[in-house]
Amino acid sequence: MIKRYAALIRNAWLVDLQYRASIVLWLLWGVTEPAIALGIWWAIAGDGSVAGYARADFARYFFAVMLINQLTIAWDSWYLDRWIREGELNYRLARPLHPAHEAVAENIAYKARTASVILVVWLLVAAAWPAVRLPLDPGRWALTLVAVLLAAAMRFFISFTTGLLAFWTTRATAIMELHAGVSLFLAGRIAPLALLPPAVAGVAGALWFRSMLAFPVDLLTGAVHGADAIVRGLASQVVWLGIWIVAYRIAWSRGIRKYGAVGG
Amino acid sequence: MTSIVTAEGLSKTFQVKVRDPGLRGAVRALFRPRYRDVLAVRDVTFRIEPGEIVAFLGPNGAGKTTTLKMLAGLLYPTSGRVEAAGFVPWTGGPPFKRRIALVLGNRQQLVWDLPPEETFLLNRAIYDIPEVDYRARLAELVTLLELGDVLQKPVRQLSLGERMKCELVASLLHRPPLLFLDEPTLGLDVTAQEAIRRFLIEYRDRHGATVLLTSHYMQDVTALASRVLMINRGRLLYDGALDVLVARIARTKRIELALGGDGGDGHRVTAEALAAFGEVKSFHFPNAVLEVRREDAPATSARLLAAFPVADLSIEDPPIEEVIRLAFARGVEEEQ
Repeated sequence: MIKRYAALIRNAWLVDLQYRASIVLWLLWGVTEPAIALGIWWAIAGDGSVAGYARADFARYFFAVMLINQLTIAWDSWYLDRWIREGELNYRLARPLHPAHEAVAENIAYKARTASVILVVWLLVAAAWPAVRLPLDPGRWALTLVAVLLAAAMRFFISFTTGLLAFWTTRATAIMELHAGVSLFLAGRIAPLALLPPAVAGVAGALWFRSMLAFPVDLLTGAVHGADAIVRGLASQVVWLGIWIVAYRIAWSRGIRKYGAVGG
Repeated sequence: MTSIVTAEGLSKTFQVKVRDPGLRGAVRALFRPRYRDVLAVRDVTFRIEPGEIVAFLGPNGAGKTTTLKMLAGLLYPTSGRVEAAGFVPWTGGPPFKRRIALVLGNRQQLVWDLPPEETFLLNRAIYDIPEVDYRARLAELVTLLELGDVLQKPVRQLSLGERMKCELVASLLHRPPLLFLDEPTLGLDVTAQEAIRRFLIEYRDRHGATVLLTSHYMQDVTALASRVLMINRGRLLYDGALDVLVARIARTKRIELALGGDGGDGHRVTAEALAAFGEVKSFHFPNAVLEVRREDAPATSARLLAAFPVADLSIEDPPIEEVIRLAFARGVEEEQ
């Protein structure tokens, strides 16, 4: 299986290298949203603070969002939707490799290239600007790595499962767009969850949105502290990952029976 | 010999959403969707022996491709039983998939932006093909398909014919005993079509592979298939040799004549004179084509030879396209 993943990732990178301009565009997209959010909160915070977040805290938060969002984001619903609607799933189903493996390999390839660039950018900025430096705390970084892996797995299954809705509806990507819109607020992409009205933050925590992004970000920046809070956050990630895996399994086994194998 | 493919009572029903035209229809369909059952394949039964090349014949929407996809495990049948290469296709999993190849004329697996060799290398990894085998098989396929220098060119720069040849390479590197080909010559020029036909026959002869194909090109069928399965509206109309089908459907034969000179007496044979022997389909002196009843062909030929100076005479079946058209128009059954 390692050989297969290596071959899939290699091909994904080879394709990327054909489109160097698009890599830059995707990277800009990944940087722009948190940069704009940071700009707004920077202006609002001024010399004081908002709900305990001063300028430096916002800077650290959004740099972490930039990195962790790229490490956990998944585009699979768009691919799946096309595979199903245009019959590109056909030859993938005829191979002795579940199509999900190709999707996972694509994710690894994408994340490795965008996140590594963002990491380098962050290190360069941190060298000049102490505000975005993180305290040296290997234990916390290790925990963050676990949380990031859980979040990436969960977002993969959310995206893949939503894409599988294309077996039933031609609006699968619209559902994913809606999810992305909601997560703009509930996952903490536009503001730390601590700044949201308590009721809204509560919904984000009760559902899977906090586990997607805000929790690993807060873990990295130190906003979540205390063993109790950390364990609860990780447990919530594990539970939601499990739920999405079950949803994926149901959607796959039912959808594949319904598949019309469009076109050739 | 045990069959490599067995289909028994195979049926597939699709539910298709129907809606009236226009905005009103679209809104109504949104709130109260209506569905209609489309019987794509109905109660189809056949067996295929190892090493056979079998063609599915039928107009668009007849159920050929749907049947092929059920055999390849892409579609779940609504009812019926299938065994292919020793497995039930949709539960066979990877062991089944290693024993089949699926080539779709209008959907490609080659990675568009990369040279075809990158897709081959990917398939080497996916199918766990040992390096030595990979090299040997690739060399063989490249030689048979006369691919030469295209392996390093990006797929998007290849001609349609080169792409289809590369598709075949990608699909055959794991040397499957059972090949499903859906329109493998679609859109190709005559030279490329012939190259692919030659290759498929050579490949079958070398490796004993079984080939099931669908095609709209009758030349594919006449050149490749020892046996045809004729499908129309989801039903299997005919299963057997092509020439038997022709004999059953075609009530006529064509006598092609090359007439001799004017016999030295200044009288050329005329179309009117030939009309007494059968229906004149074409007449461009010295060539003429007569259509006669099948059973009369030998006697009429003898009479023609006696009556006119004939340089050459041959008795042919009507063009295969015409036979097939007749078969679908009349149905095969009533001809039996």
